[in-house]
Amino acid sequence: MPTHNFQIRNPVTILLTIFIIVLSLDPVSAQSSNASVNIGELIGILLLIFGVLGVIWGLIWMFAYPIFLLYALIFSGKNLDNMILKTVERERAIISKFGKDILSNIDGGFRKDVISSGIVWAGAVYGPSHWHQLLGKLYNWFGGSIDIFQKVISAGRAESMQRLREIAIEEGWDEVINVRIDTSPMAPAAGRKGIKAVEVFAYGTGIKYN
Amino acid sequence: MVQDVEGIIVVNTETIPGKLITESFGVVSGSTVRAKHIGRDITQGFKNIIGGELHKYTELLEESRTEALSRMVSDAIARGANAVVNVRFATSAITPGAAELFAYGTAVKIE
Repeated sequence: MPTHNFQIRNPVTILLTIFIIVLSLDPVSAQSSNASVNIGELIGILLLIFGVLGVIWGLIWMFAYPIFLLYALIFSGKNLDNMILKTVERERAIISKFGKDILSNIDGGFRKDVISSGIVWAGAVYGPSHWHQLLGKLYNWFGGSIDIFQKVISAGRAESMQRLREIAIEEGWDEVINVRIDTSPMAPAAGRKGIKAVEVFAYGTGIKYN
Repeated sequence: MVQDVEGIIVVNTETIPGKLITESFGVVSGSTVRAKHIGRDITQGFKNIIGGELHKYTELLEESRTEALSRMVSDAIARGANAVVNVRFATSAITPGAAELFAYGTAVKIE
């Protein structure tokens, strides 16, 4: 899993690689090995290959990460605003087409003229950019509301509700009742490392009128 | 869609509009634990730096939910039900790489 603490991991990998190279060049083990392949040597070679791959990956990551972070610094705020705008546009288009919002979270037991019903669901995984995560940490020191994270999560929520509307229309339902929205972290156990994202999941019962 | 394939009605309301529930078979459930492969992790890790939606994870969770729901439905069919009402979904992350998707509901017979 790619992490942003490459500064810590890379020296360890490099040291390990150097250690393995020194071990494989050891004259004592070279003398003791026969014509057949020694298992210890084989493991050494495998470790060496993995070490070299790790170093290459680390170097790529070291150069790519600042570029991505710079991109996030410049564009991520604007991208987020664009995403919210697009979702709102799609939402308005559907509401103006049907004259009302087709989602509602009331139980539809009172409806009499329903001919068929079935579950519909939609989800979206949204994560704040690393630049926003840094800003969020900064805000965290001072306390108060962290508007950046709130924005990311509400963008995800709007997107998943919009998808629910679109899927319901696509599958031929007239209305979606009893809508529930769940939000769950993608990887809470990841701690400081790994991907930070939330999954917003919306589901409801699609109904079709006679 | 699940109800089209299996021929049984799945809703998340307590009753089915326009139908009468005659018999209950208890709670049925289905779950899956899904892990993402490392290639996805790497590309989505890069995507996470930029921010925004992680499409591959959305797809993955959708597939897993479909599987959990179809397991729940086959449990209901095994009990002789023809509908599942009051379906709820739950998600829990076991390790950073894997997530459990869980669906449960009440299996009933309708007229």
